[in-house]
Amino acid sequence: MNSLQTVQQLLVEEFGLTPAQVHAEAALEELGVDSLATIECMFLLEDKFKIRFPGGDAVVIKTVGDIAREVDSLLAQQANAPAATDKPGHS
Amino acid sequence: MKRVVVTGMGTVTPLGGDVVSFFAALLAGRSGIRKLEAPWAGSINAGIVAPVSEDIAGHFPKLKLISLDRVSQLSLLAARQAVAQAGIDFSGAHGEHCGIFWGTGMGGASTLESAYNDLLIHSAARLKPTTVVMVMNNASTGQISIEFNIRGPSYTYSSACSSSAVALGEAFRAIRFGLVKAAIAGGAEAMLTQGVIKSWESLQTLARVDAEHPETSCRPFSADRSGFVLGEGAAALILEEEGAAKARGATILAEITGYGNTTDATHITQPEASGQARAMRLALAEAGLMPEQVDHINAHGTGTRAGDLSETSAVRQVFGAQAKRIPICATKALHGHLMGATGAVEMLAAIETLRTRIVPPTAHLFHPDPECDLDYVSEGPRQLAKLDVVMSNSFGFGGNNAVIVARRYS
Repeated sequence: MNSLQTVQQLLVEEFGLTPAQVHAEAALEELGVDSLATIECMFLLEDKFKIRFPGGDAVVIKTVGDIAREVDSLLAQQANAPAATDKPGHS
Repeated sequence: MKRVVVTGMGTVTPLGGDVVSFFAALLAGRSGIRKLEAPWAGSINAGIVAPVSEDIAGHFPKLKLISLDRVSQLSLLAARQAVAQAGIDFSGAHGEHCGIFWGTGMGGASTLESAYNDLLIHSAARLKPTTVVMVMNNASTGQISIEFNIRGPSYTYSSACSSSAVALGEAFRAIRFGLVKAAIAGGAEAMLTQGVIKSWESLQTLARVDAEHPETSCRPFSADRSGFVLGEGAAALILEEEGAAKARGATILAEITGYGNTTDATHITQPEASGQARAMRLALAEAGLMPEQVDHINAHGTGTRAGDLSETSAVRQVFGAQAKRIPICATKALHGHLMGATGAVEMLAAIETLRTRIVPPTAHLFHPDPECDLDYVSEGPRQLAKLDVVMSNSFGFGGNNAVIVARRYS
């Protein structure tokens, strides 16, 4: 999970959580990161990594590590198909 | 019919962040009106407002702030104070029989304006995912329910300047008729944004700035009045059924005894004395009181010519020869017009007046208006030997009039 540290840093800086709280297995719900805060987090990560989460409920995100895995996956797709992020569909 | 008592109060205003400092400022005649500090202040003609100057956001963790507009922050702070004073616990089954009655004129105005700026000025591709839940008018209501675990009915009232007075009145009725055992009632407003202030500016209702003493620019019932000053704030009251309050040993601050609500049905902004008078009469009738039993009126008193004349006329209609005997104060001169919050803030002031028997002054009444010839307590705070019944008037754009009567509990 290459992006884990960035995700953790974001959760600490933007949401006021402590570094000890945001370990990879930490459940977002238990941290108080509800569905709206999770979307907020993803929007911030989209801006940071220049990626676009697909939206919808295809991806299950329950832990801090789940977010990092999803970011890594999108970064990998982007590396393989650089034009993909230019497609419309998420705004 | 149940008796309805007040067991807790909380407020955050331009005059202070709690009931004690707020009321002390009213008695001292200290104004919360000041120069607008904002990057866009130069675009505002009047350039004065009544802001809450203390740090508000600092009371909440960052994670919580993601979904809290300033109006909800003010709401929660006022509610926390009221709940703490009442010592009431809404958890357990009790919370299912308690309600929230909250008023706001424009809800999350700041978030909405930010969103429009992001979208229209900065061409944002998307907006904050919490925009909707921060902007919606019932955001404060929902946030209060979550924080205090209140699971009975919840209502959000929006009737401009009378919003929180309506909320208090409807909470009073719900308890009186046995629908709920207790309620958090009040309201909040936080709309000191460029777009909102410019909109009010166009209505020609905002006060001209007194160049030498800008803090005195709002002058209700004074011949040199020129309008009101926009402010922000919140107030919350805990209303309870008398028996439930006594059973848990609560300290009872006052009893709410009557509520009148009428609609002018004449003009969207122009006040109508007869509609206001009907609301006062209805409140007195519900309270079982004669006009001569009222010891004090906290006026709506916005400091517009139309408003001052209409309210003075309405008081004369209801109280007749007694009208000049009643000490009336218009506290907006000091705390500004808190819009959706103002009814609850002023009811709170009226209850403190009841408790202390000291009527706050109508500040800045420098030039008596021959057409407003009642006793507006312009000389300074006035201690009364007898002060057992108070009335608070709130009149809103749209023609809504809400009047609440409270009395010393015995």
